[in-house]
Amino acid sequence: MLKGKVALVTGGSRGIGRAIALKLASEGADVIVNFFRRREAAEETAREIEALGVASQVIKANVGDPEKVDEMFGTIADSFGRLDILVNNAASGLPRSALELDAKVWGWTMDINARALLLCAQHAARLMEGRGGKIVSISSLGSSLVIPKYTAIGVSKATLEALTRYLAIELAPRNICVNAVAASMVPTASGMLYGGGGKPGTSSPPPTTPAGRLVSAEDIADVVAFLCSEAAFMIRGQVIIIDGGTSLAPFSLE
Amino acid sequence: MSAVEDTIKDIVVKIVHCDREILKPEATFQDMKADSLDMVQVLVALEDEFGIEIPDEDAQKFKNFGDFVSYVEARVAEKKGNA
Repeated sequence: MLKGKVALVTGGSRGIGRAIALKLASEGADVIVNFFRRREAAEETAREIEALGVASQVIKANVGDPEKVDEMFGTIADSFGRLDILVNNAASGLPRSALELDAKVWGWTMDINARALLLCAQHAARLMEGRGGKIVSISSLGSSLVIPKYTAIGVSKATLEALTRYLAIELAPRNICVNAVAASMVPTASGMLYGGGGKPGTSSPPPTTPAGRLVSAEDIADVVAFLCSEAAFMIRGQVIIIDGGTSLAPFSLE
Repeated sequence: MSAVEDTIKDIVVKIVHCDREILKPEATFQDMKADSLDMVQVLVALEDEFGIEIPDEDAQKFKNFGDFVSYVEARVAEKKGNA
């Protein structure tokens, strides 16, 4: 379905990004795996992508650093000469409440989680010139609901979602579809920092959703792949919630 | 003290805002009162300063400041050897 397309997944070495990178590759796209800190993991993901019969490349870049973003897209232009899909997935942050936050943590979180979409979308739009493309960002329920110690990340995700709406309209004449997905807690290494798997050493059950299980990275990858397909052409500037119903049912019915 | 160690101290003091005197080889990151964001920013600053790469897979093995300096010195020497 995505045969011949070139996709970039930021933060694609592990967790949700890795699942998305593998899903897009399984649908036929060549996939560029951006990473920041974990080269071995990125190279392992790239090997798995290549095993699916498509091309892959790893590019190190902190998407919070405009110069590094410029360099990354320069490399993509040199290697592929184009881009069809941008998955803005890379994210960072520390577990801090509002009164614990300082300017450094706030700036770091906003730069990586929100500003990176702006910078990457600007570059991507140029590499999609004349053909169009798809841009999908990964948000979270923390953009609209309050999650303990998730303050800066939640605000950065709200910014990401607002920017998704602006980009969707401003890039529509260029035939670029821009959307986002917002997931509830996913039990990846990062997700576990925010309360996944129950409290260690207690008998509290692991959290679940009305759908009967937690959201997996693969659940998110499936929806991202759909948003990258032509079947989603008329969906613009939306945030698709993937939470097994969690946000609709804050009170237990039992 | 090597020039590399001196530069590492400059970077750590600037980012972590710790006292330069505590940066002895046996000093742990708790001694420096560095949080995980401080450490990432130090690693990134060192990568840019020395033109090397310090992936997390390696950085996670550092137990103290001395490990840090030895690693960076080795990578810088390796880079010079390849140049």
